[in-house]
Amino acid sequence: MFRNTREGLALALPAAIFSTLLFLVPVGILLSEAFRSGGSWSLQGYIDFFSTPLNRTVFLRTLKLGVLVAGTAAVIGYAAAFCIVNLGPKSRGKVFGMVVLPLMISPVARTYAWIVILGRTGIVNEAITGLGLSDTPLRLLFTETAVFLGLLQLFLPLMIISLVSAMENIPRDVIPAARVLGASWIAVFFKVILPLTKEGLVIGGTLVFTGALTAYITPAILGGSKVLMLETLLYQRVNVSNDFVSASVIAMILIVMSFSANLLLKRIATARS
Amino acid sequence: MRHLATWSILGLTLTFLIGPFLIIILAGASATDYLAFPPEGLTLKWYLKVFTVESFRASFALSMALAIFGTFMALLLGVPAAYALNRYDLPGAETLRTIVAAPIIVPGIIVGLALLRYMVVPTGVTVTLALFMAHTALVLPYAVRVVSSSMTNLRADMEEAAVLLGCSRLQAFTKVVLPNIRGGVLAAFILGFVTSFNQVPVSLFLSGPGVRTLPIDMLAYMEITFDPSVAALSALLAFMSLAIVFTAERLLGFSRYV
Amino acid sequence: MSDAFVQLSDLTLSYGKSVAVPNLDLSIREGELIALLGPSGCGKTTTMRSIAGLLAPTGGTITIDGRDVTRVPANKRGIGLVFQSYALFPHLTAFENVAFGLRLQKLPEAEIKARTEEGLATVGLTGFEKRKPAEMSGGQQQRVALARSLVMRPKVLLLDEPLSNLDARLRLEMRTELQRVQKETGITMVFVTHDQAEALALADRIVLMKDGKIEQLGTPSDLYARPATAFAAEFMGFENIFRVEGTEVVTAKGRLPLEARPESPILAWRPDAVTVGSGPHEGRVAACSFAGAHREYVIDSALGPIKADAAIALPEVALGETIRFDLPLSTARGLAA
Ligand SMILES: Nc1ncnc2c1ncn2[C@@H]1O[C@H](COP(=O)(O)OP(=O)(O)OP(=O)(O)O)[C@@H](O)[C@H]1O
Ligand SMILES: [Mg+2]
Repeated sequence: MFRNTREGLALALPAAIFSTLLFLVPVGILLSEAFRSGGSWSLQGYIDFFSTPLNRTVFLRTLKLGVLVAGTAAVIGYAAAFCIVNLGPKSRGKVFGMVVLPLMISPVARTYAWIVILGRTGIVNEAITGLGLSDTPLRLLFTETAVFLGLLQLFLPLMIISLVSAMENIPRDVIPAARVLGASWIAVFFKVILPLTKEGLVIGGTLVFTGALTAYITPAILGGSKVLMLETLLYQRVNVSNDFVSASVIAMILIVMSFSANLLLKRIATARS
Repeated sequence: MRHLATWSILGLTLTFLIGPFLIIILAGASATDYLAFPPEGLTLKWYLKVFTVESFRASFALSMALAIFGTFMALLLGVPAAYALNRYDLPGAETLRTIVAAPIIVPGIIVGLALLRYMVVPTGVTVTLALFMAHTALVLPYAVRVVSSSMTNLRADMEEAAVLLGCSRLQAFTKVVLPNIRGGVLAAFILGFVTSFNQVPVSLFLSGPGVRTLPIDMLAYMEITFDPSVAALSALLAFMSLAIVFTAERLLGFSRYV
Repeated sequence: MSDAFVQLSDLTLSYGKSVAVPNLDLSIREGELIALLGPSGCGKTTTMRSIAGLLAPTGGTITIDGRDVTRVPANKRGIGLVFQSYALFPHLTAFENVAFGLRLQKLPEAEIKARTEEGLATVGLTGFEKRKPAEMSGGQQQRVALARSLVMRPKVLLLDEPLSNLDARLRLEMRTELQRVQKETGITMVFVTHDQAEALALADRIVLMKDGKIEQLGTPSDLYARPATAFAAEFMGFENIFRVEGTEVVTAKGRLPLEARPESPILAWRPDAVTVGSGPHEGRVAACSFAGAHREYVIDSALGPIKADAAIALPEVALGETIRFDLPLSTARGLAA
């Protein structure tokens, strides 16, 4: 009954055509723009982009923050996921729910909270001046630390979720068995937990890293023009100077970075086994 | 000892993840007309002010409409596609899958910019329509994925049985397939709605006079006003999302599908 | 054939490039109970699906009741099919599953109720109306699937291994039930089975299939007594099948002489056709099991293992002991090459 290919295509094609016309084609044109900057096909757009010091700084900062956020998320994520998996079934569902919930909330709201915390009249500065550690409030907003915290808070749940589902698949008793055989907790982690959860780490790592690269709101609100990241730079370039070539270059960088992160993590994961 | 360690790690993590919301709720209730925490005096005036800001009302309506109709449209395209990809042995099925999933891979800001530059500008399509299509494209991958996964356990022979009992193909779909994937479709709708409603980067470039989604409007408002009303609005939005998700979880065990 | 109710002519069925059933010819009379018998993968389900209209043939025609239905869609053929996998609707109760087709016909509610209840009663599931498929055992689900097709009173009812999931007792009960329903309603039925005993017990005629082709077609007694090929013989319980060379039977292991030169190139004996305890040949008892009225021996002979049944009255021979036996020409079935 389902052997009529034409029927199947008729059902699947509208979505594919929609996606192609509204998405692949415009994005493709945008990406090609950097290669056509001088009127002919060339890499000039890329050369120009990377010869600007600011652009290089922003590129490296984005890469650095992405790696830092993903790395920190992995460390916290393993600790939290391990705790969650070892909870009783009741509290486990609740805690897991609390981890997932923030994902459903507007990133604007989630990021705005950090203004309250880190702002001039925010909780941290109130504490510092209240304790007499400093006379004037410190500038905490518009720093890399602020962006880092904001991004970490935004994407940590993705890492925890990936790791929890990976750890749920570790066969029971493997860890106690390793412990009985005399393995230290560190050995257990590197010899048992890590190899068995690397799939989850790859997924979580890619999600967090890609998320951090392509987040707009967090660097916009917490970094402003002092701590530009690629997304905010792109926005500036287009809005302030109508520079579509830079936009095209940044777009390509973001896409390439996301893909290579995924490939790299996969490669690392398979190389170990 | 083990317990203590477990709960302190979880406590810290959850404080980090959820604490900021509690802070925001209180910050929105501060009687000061600048942001302050701990709040100095409590008032509901900022929470009430949110509803009187004209631009918030307009952008909220736009965001709502985009989230509802965009997701609806994505399901209209996505459910048949998920169905066909599951049931039929299509040539190039992998390519089709990738094309439909592509919007999830490419950063939203690029999608928005590309649509503005190569669709809105040359063809004169309105920004609202472009927004609608962008949000549809954005939700489409979720729709296909969630509906697909709820369809994998649904064997094709059920439809064949229905047809042999006298159904037309369409009736077999509506009477047998749809009731069994209803949970997945609803979950996809909610996930799509929340994703679309909270979406910023796609809409960043797609705004025009009087056409702004709520998150973009909030960003703009933040730049000129420092009163706690954005905190209040953030808190309200958080409550709205939570209410939706909780209801969904209660009604259909939503988390199975995420 | 004038009396054919269902006629498959030169029917070819393929999945993509691979042909599952090549050039099948089969005619089924009205009111007949036909068993499709054959090993896994021989094309039984495929054939049924094409009769039902779920699989378009790549060649040939299907006629039902004098009408060419080759191009008629499945929902207009008036054929019932009980699926190998039941294919119940998981969101509906047993009652609603059975009533599904009747509701589509927009029958009056009272009639729907009456016919549905009757259908459930026929398969012994009165009282299960409110259960969902997930709350029933495999056998119960299978019976709901049967009732769902029966209440439609189809012209032809196809059953794909309808009894495979029932326990021995229920299986016997349902067999009788199926036969009763079939005789009462006169529905033409085709059922698929792996199990030769079931085919022999139920069918008016048996279609034995192998690799998409009909190996042999005949009444149960025909097939049982006179299998035409080694394949058919094996399926009908001839466990000892040997090639003939001159006046000897031969296997890769060795050879044994016969009392005379047979006419057939292949000879086959059922276990009960082998003489045990006396005879010209000797072997070693490799296995012996008690089976009520007889003992089943596996004899390690010059030909390799031979399966032989011995009357219980004969004294038991211990494992490893020598035993005498004979392969008499009089009880052998001669087969074509
Ligand atoms: N959907 C399919 N696509 C490709 N080949 C198929 C498909 N279904 C069946 N086949 C092939 O067609 C042949 C016949 O299969 P069929 O299902 O008719 O066997 P069957 O006799 O019903 O076996 P069983 O007793 O195991 O149910 C087999 O070789 C099988 O591999
Ligand atoms: Mg079969």
